[in-house]
Amino acid sequence: MLKVWAVVRREFIERVRQKWFWVMALVGPLFFGAIILLPQLMLRGGGVKNIAVVDGTTNGLGQRVTAALDTAAGLDGHRVFHVARVPAGPQVIDSLRAQVEAKGLEGFLIVTDSLVDYGRAEYLASNVSSFTAIETIEHNLAQVVFTLRLERAGVDPAVVGKARLPVALGTQKIAGGKATQESAAQGFSLAYFMAIILYTSILIYGINVMSSVLEEKTNRVVEVLVSSLRPFQLMLGKLLGVGAVSIFQFLIWAVSARFLLSRRGGGGGAPQAGQVFQIPHVNVETALVFVAYFLGGFFLYSAMFAAVGAISSTEQEARQGQQPVSVLLMVSFFAMFAMINDPNSTLAVTLSMIPFCSPIAMPVRWAAGNLPISEVAASLGILVASIVLVTWLASRIYRVGILMTGKRPSIPELVRWVRTA
Amino acid sequence: MTQPILVLDRVTKRFAGHVAVDALSLVVPPGVIYGLLGPNGAGKSTTIRMIMNIYVPDGGTVQVFGEPGGRDHSARVGYLPEERGLYPKMRVLDVLLFLAEMKGMDRRGARAKALQWLDRLGLGDWAQRKVNELSKGMQQKVQFISTVLHDPDLLVMDEAFSGLDPVNSQILKDTVLELRGRGKTILFSTHIMEQAEKLCDHVCIIARGKKLVDGTLADVKRTRSGHHVLVNFDGARGDADRIFADRRLATKADVSGQFAELELAPGADAQQILQALVSSGARLSRFELAEPSLNKIFIDLVGPEAAHPDMRPEVAHA
Repeated sequence: MLKVWAVVRREFIERVRQKWFWVMALVGPLFFGAIILLPQLMLRGGGVKNIAVVDGTTNGLGQRVTAALDTAAGLDGHRVFHVARVPAGPQVIDSLRAQVEAKGLEGFLIVTDSLVDYGRAEYLASNVSSFTAIETIEHNLAQVVFTLRLERAGVDPAVVGKARLPVALGTQKIAGGKATQESAAQGFSLAYFMAIILYTSILIYGINVMSSVLEEKTNRVVEVLVSSLRPFQLMLGKLLGVGAVSIFQFLIWAVSARFLLSRRGGGGGAPQAGQVFQIPHVNVETALVFVAYFLGGFFLYSAMFAAVGAISSTEQEARQGQQPVSVLLMVSFFAMFAMINDPNSTLAVTLSMIPFCSPIAMPVRWAAGNLPISEVAASLGILVASIVLVTWLASRIYRVGILMTGKRPSIPELVRWVRTA
Repeated sequence: MTQPILVLDRVTKRFAGHVAVDALSLVVPPGVIYGLLGPNGAGKSTTIRMIMNIYVPDGGTVQVFGEPGGRDHSARVGYLPEERGLYPKMRVLDVLLFLAEMKGMDRRGARAKALQWLDRLGLGDWAQRKVNELSKGMQQKVQFISTVLHDPDLLVMDEAFSGLDPVNSQILKDTVLELRGRGKTILFSTHIMEQAEKLCDHVCIIARGKKLVDGTLADVKRTRSGHHVLVNFDGARGDADRIFADRRLATKADVSGQFAELELAPGADAQQILQALVSSGARLSRFELAEPSLNKIFIDLVGPEAAHPDMRPEVAHA
């Protein structure tokens, strides 16, 4: 109908004309990039650490350990330690302790001959929760001890060297009967990335719908509109218009991402093993799942936000009223990590069927693991049915609410609004 | 007789706990300016919202152009709500085009007419500016254009003159008269009787949701006319208060400052009052036998508690 189209058009054009739309279009990717890179930066230990190895060994083990740690590389491929070997002796421990306290030294490792026999060593440091440091020390000690034990048993050092060649575990996701070249890290990044975009976009555009409703209500244009078209048409036009804006926003992001990646050289070569976040490979199916669940989530939540806008008379009331709706969306966002870890757990399956959670839960499961298409279909079916129901309920509240001023209605009043024809 | 433009038949609207409009019936013939008058809270806005199909009546029927009221007629009806507002961040022309589209106009036709109206009301240079850059008076003009842009046959204005400055008030009045001249029908509500008396052909006075009187302005005045005396003092009032309180002379006196409107007691002679006033030392600038003013009728009907409708300071009496 032409009038609905006019409402869609107004919502779209007025929003795209606003500065904030273009700010989002430009700053959005930076924002999402920061969210994704931040955990990675936080995992990184922050520079090369000075440590000492207190050598109480008699067979050159100390030198070997020192050499191994000094060249050790962390997850990000950077050198972790700067190592100095200190022969054991009286007062050494005390003076090193003093240095650690004075922040001249991160920590020190005590190795004795018992390392090879019993596999024991001690690390004393100002920070023993540094994941990278502990991991690196343990790993390198194990390697050195392993080599030494084999040599003691008479194995040729050359053979030992060969035996130590690392194994690289290549992971492939099986989806739709074919294996895709996708590392676990990529799957994780994709799930994480989609969850964040879905959550923020549904929230932002839902609240956009809410403030648009509230604006028409407070400036009373709604009276003129409602005397010309049915409230449901008005609400529908708003949802479609704001929805179109969001799709347009995604298109801008997608095109600019493609452009940037192509400039960087074909999407970034072979992924480095061990990197936690990688630019994931997004295929057509994934993009479709993403768009389908975004639209589903957007319509479901926007209908609710529209009802909240309609029952509020001021910005402040609207802010309060939207909280329960936002919390509903947050549930599935926080369950994300559990779902990535085990995409087929009872929790994950349940959440991906509940319509208020599925817009985030299902794409996360999709990215993290192999999903039967029947489950996606069932979840989408439930979502669409819920959208119809929720939109119907919301439009009945909306219809009465937009013409009401004064105090916010109570729950029993809302029920009466929905019931009355 | 030609078919009425608007017919309300025992229309009732209840809100939680009270009846806002109680079995109200009225008939608006074509080509007239019809005033829906009443004190604040009388049910004027509720009645208008039912006419505009914003509220659904709990009882009774509304007929517009001889058919059940509804949004189907929106292309032929212009509506100015009581509380004014536009989209503050939109450009003036875009707002007008959007609202015209809501009334079923196509954008191209609407654009030409909108520019014409903007020029006519002196806003030609503002078409591409944002609404919130306009002064309050300019915004009122834009809103008025939005109600008449689609050339409606029926124009419905709730509290048409409230908040208008004298210039805009005059423009509105001229436009309303011009529309009537072209055979359009105008219904507006107001609680300012001076406005209604100058403009309306027909009036309907309501209070507490009920109709008190309706008909042509002349009929309403005639049926309500006792012998009315209008008195204007010129400074000294003499013993006016005692004379007006004499029930053998005047059954009712509505005094405000230098002005008084009296209803003569049966058998009383206006000359007696004049003589009494002059001999008590009052100086008069006017002493007139007249029909009652609409204001007087209104106050008599509605009761003294509504005698001073809230006259907002910005309200103009042009």
